[in-house]
Amino acid sequence: MKKIITSVLALSCLVANAQIDRSVRPKAAEAPQINIANPATFKLDNGIKVIVSENHKQPKVSMNLVMGSDPYYSDSKAGLTDMVSELMMSGTTNRPKDQLDNEKDFIGAFLNASSSNIYLSCLTKHLDKGMELMTDILHNASFPESEFDRIKKQFESGLLSAQSDPSSMANNAEVKTLFPSHPYSMVMTEKSLNSITREDIVAYYKERFTPSGAYLVIVGDISVENAKELANKNFGNWEGSPAVESSFSKGEFNTGNRVIFVEKPGAVQSVITIAQPIKMNPGEEDQIKLSVMNKILGGGGFGTRLMQNLREDKAYTYGAYTSLDIDRYGSYISASGNFRNEVTDSAIVQFLYEFNRITKEEVTTEELELNKAAMAGSFARSLESPQTIARFALNTYRNKLDSDYYQNYLKKLSAVSKEDVLAAAKTYINPNGLNIIVVGSPDVLESLKQFDADGVIEKLDAFGNPAVKVEYKEADFPKDVILERHILALTGAKNMKKANKVFKKIKSVEQSIIARPAQAPIEVQFTAIYKEGKTMSKAEFSGMVLSKSVFDGEKGGSKQMAQTGGFETSAMTEEEIALAQKFMHIAPEYAILKNDINYELLGMLELEGSVVYAIQYKGADGPVTSYYDAETFMKTKSVTLNKTQEESFETVASFSDYKMVGKLMFPHTIKQVMGGQSFDQEVIEIIVNGKVDDKVFEL
Amino acid sequence: MKKLIATSLIAFTGLSVTAQERKIDFVEYDLDNGMHVILHEDKSTPIVAVSIMYHVGSKNENPERTGFAHFFEHLLFEGSENIKRGEYSELVEKNGGTLNANTSQDRTYYYEILPSNQLELGMWLESERLFHANVDQQGVETQREVVKEEKRQRIDNQPYASFMGEAFDKVFDEHPYSWIPIGSMEHLDAAQEEDYIDFYRTFYVPANAVLSIAGDISIEETKALVNKYFASIPKGQAINLLRDVEKLEETAFTSKYGISNKEFDMVDFSKSSASARKLIKKYENMGTVIPRPSVKEKPLTTVTVDTVYDNIQLPAVFMAYRGPANNTKDGYALQMINDILSSGTSSRMNKKIVEKDALAVAAFSFAFPLEDPGMVVTAGIASKDVDLADLQSALDAEIEKAQTELVSEEEFQKIKNQYENQFYSSNGSVAGIAENLANNYMYYGNTDLINSELDVYNEITREDLREVAKKYFTKDARVILHYLPKQQ
Repeated sequence: MKKIITSVLALSCLVANAQIDRSVRPKAAEAPQINIANPATFKLDNGIKVIVSENHKQPKVSMNLVMGSDPYYSDSKAGLTDMVSELMMSGTTNRPKDQLDNEKDFIGAFLNASSSNIYLSCLTKHLDKGMELMTDILHNASFPESEFDRIKKQFESGLLSAQSDPSSMANNAEVKTLFPSHPYSMVMTEKSLNSITREDIVAYYKERFTPSGAYLVIVGDISVENAKELANKNFGNWEGSPAVESSFSKGEFNTGNRVIFVEKPGAVQSVITIAQPIKMNPGEEDQIKLSVMNKILGGGGFGTRLMQNLREDKAYTYGAYTSLDIDRYGSYISASGNFRNEVTDSAIVQFLYEFNRITKEEVTTEELELNKAAMAGSFARSLESPQTIARFALNTYRNKLDSDYYQNYLKKLSAVSKEDVLAAAKTYINPNGLNIIVVGSPDVLESLKQFDADGVIEKLDAFGNPAVKVEYKEADFPKDVILERHILALTGAKNMKKANKVFKKIKSVEQSIIARPAQAPIEVQFTAIYKEGKTMSKAEFSGMVLSKSVFDGEKGGSKQMAQTGGFETSAMTEEEIALAQKFMHIAPEYAILKNDINYELLGMLELEGSVVYAIQYKGADGPVTSYYDAETFMKTKSVTLNKTQEESFETVASFSDYKMVGKLMFPHTIKQVMGGQSFDQEVIEIIVNGKVDDKVFEL
Repeated sequence: MKKLIATSLIAFTGLSVTAQERKIDFVEYDLDNGMHVILHEDKSTPIVAVSIMYHVGSKNENPERTGFAHFFEHLLFEGSENIKRGEYSELVEKNGGTLNANTSQDRTYYYEILPSNQLELGMWLESERLFHANVDQQGVETQREVVKEEKRQRIDNQPYASFMGEAFDKVFDEHPYSWIPIGSMEHLDAAQEEDYIDFYRTFYVPANAVLSIAGDISIEETKALVNKYFASIPKGQAINLLRDVEKLEETAFTSKYGISNKEFDMVDFSKSSASARKLIKKYENMGTVIPRPSVKEKPLTTVTVDTVYDNIQLPAVFMAYRGPANNTKDGYALQMINDILSSGTSSRMNKKIVEKDALAVAAFSFAFPLEDPGMVVTAGIASKDVDLADLQSALDAEIEKAQTELVSEEEFQKIKNQYENQFYSSNGSVAGIAENLANNYMYYGNTDLINSELDVYNEITREDLREVAKKYFTKDARVILHYLPKQQ
């Protein structure tokens, strides 16, 4: 144990002698030398190229085995590689998952696998054990059926929330637009997930985990001789089929700006993405120059063009950034941010302005120097990690870069001039070939037309696929007849006169419902009571009231459990009271007819296998679209756009299992989906004309 | 707790085989003004981490003015006497560096990572912050909004994040740990400029600071720079006198001190008038008192249960207990048993509660590493079709097992292997080394712990783990929080 303790002559209290002018800013000392050692390389007989980067600073070694096949593409099995990644670590023929986890944790190793690599990092002293686990996974991954099922279920849940997450939606639209029919564009959907079988997983593994074309990157506390020995011992006898070769287009380049829209009903802000593919391979002469351009345009920090414009100057957003991705399979540049609905079109104007400007004018010396210094610093700091050197080596070989590419990086970066940046922008950025992707409310749609070269906006769904346009056929009945038929179906009456009689006899209805959120293991008790012009609805959990709304015909309000206990209450506004009075009836359809409420018949369409009529009106909670089965006239579905102060969200309710209770048909199974959450509701009891204490209509 | 290094021995012991390889060498000493300096030379990458740790955190705050320590973390980016607003970060970024800061209940930490030829820039920046940062109404107004937004994003809008504030509030009654670093937005609004200035003058003094520098440096050159920028800050209360010299108008200064501030030469004190020099001497000799809480919290005696409604989909249960101080043997032992219970995919809670019994999507047990006796939390987020009561029973069962049975030899060795890995990870960067050096000095009074920490774990026995589990996971004295989804 070597300890160095020195003491310093305690400064005698001669602060009075201190001379320092603190207003003088220090100057930098001479720039230090960067030395990036070239790693050693050798090849195994079975084709694996081994890269060894020695670093004895810490007693740790990492091994990264990277497969050599080109990326996988399928137009029907998007999600296969995600599933393979999840399942690689789920057990081998020698070790079930438990045991694998245990042995890995025992040596404190980091061990992970994806669909194209296996990575191990551990202390030198545990390397043999680590390699044993790594090679077991490599050769003997077993993909147990139970794990396959479990992971598939996990992805199913993930799909549900992805549908309402605007950044996922934007990302999906972007990859599909820039790189159609390309590995980047594989977005998992319910359909593609369902089509993936365990056999697919096994086939993928057998085909693509092969030594042909593979790289083994060894970094850390190991000599080249030992590395050779280790590589041969653990991977030398591995055999496999040739690596899979595929070629893909390097992106879809536009001749005019293209607007792509993904609808998120009720969104209060838009996610705007401006993107285009770039014709460049890694290591090309212009790459560093273009990356400086990207940094100045929007590559992090506050001093970029986008931040200065969209945030500092216009206050349209908290953050707008660009990213430049140069890869041998396809390169692109992408700028994005979140913007309120009202400024969506203005923000796009500014994005286009900045993309255009950087291809027309030189950047300033100040911008250039500041951003180059930031990039140089970032590069220098990255050298601290042994993994950086390994990554450099892998990139050099895979992309066939000059062997001293990284050694010369800082020199080349330093030499980038304003002219260089402008030339790179002119060459690679086409301000008239941009994709303008907007995820947001249909309210902003109209304002986007101006940006599309053809004036035609393309619409995609949440997964980046063409949005299915709802085609209504003309209904075979006039609208009033449809609502009347529905009321007759509800009451079982032969005509409206008889139906009125049925309704007159109903003084009160009390429904008890159990709601089970699909993603939470609880049961919530809903109660809904209607009594001649008064309504109440309540949600309880284990006897505690979570929320309650009441309306006594003249006034009403609601209360919601507050986070700190107690309730947040709010009273109904005059407008809300007026609406509630207008819709006061057991069946909103009856209220619509009786009170002459405005509504529209959209037409007929096929919905989930049945033909339905679609009716639209402005309901008490927001705009409503209701669907009635063309044969039974029962309401099968209803979509409401709820608007609160902070956000809007769609509530979709599906009704089934209608049964007659006290002369009225009620659905006994209701499935409700709000945002990314879904609730299965089971009607437990319905009491018609039971005793209802007026006290229940008090908050 | 600061130890003065009084010896001038240079001790060499022969290289011996120990459990720990790759020692981290360093040099440390105190300045006359009380600042502690730690230097570590590592020439492998041409970068340097320059950092200062101030021994002030939320536990030093006035209960009516919580959130100050964390607020200062933001405020101290507002510039100084010689640095304009917004310039501080820009200077670092423009010169190829990166910077950040963080606050805890016990200390505030500021650091820059710069190319090594910019060491002097780092020194100057931190000395500007320490000596005469801009602490004024304008900065306060700006940063108030930033901190409010941070609270919204990090706590209010993050599922379950409020559990920390709730738990500390209920577990502690008199001790300042009852509030968390973000503090109260109402207190920040109510505070006046004088309150902020007072905080700065009390806690931001050399005697309360540790300067920790690690990277591509030469020790001798660095010492000279430390001398130039930090030893030149006078000791005692003279720093506050000189802050007044710079900040106060002449009339205000004269009426406070009896002489004009124009008599002071801030570049060369020896050129100041005799009265000024006398005044500096007088204030140098005034002691510096750092307010630190001395309250010893009474033990918990009952079980408190409460429910919180949050924007979550899965209910969760959090059980909080009083814990030991971090820098005690109990602290180390508790960390070990917690890691055996919940660290990694093969940990007990993950294997049984999450994977086998599918009662939770996540389950964990950890202690907050605090300077005074702190808090330990065991928690789980329930999965589909599971009653919170069942989840709680399962968590309690795991704890009971730890209290009654010894952990296996295998589990025990596993944890020690994991700690060894973590040691190397956290000391794998100059930024990590700088912080670890400062932490070890500030919390343990022993900077060299960076080299002997693994030995501390080696001295703990399996019996110790069982005892510490019994001592702290008190079933009849704890706080239980039920987190439930808000109903739409």
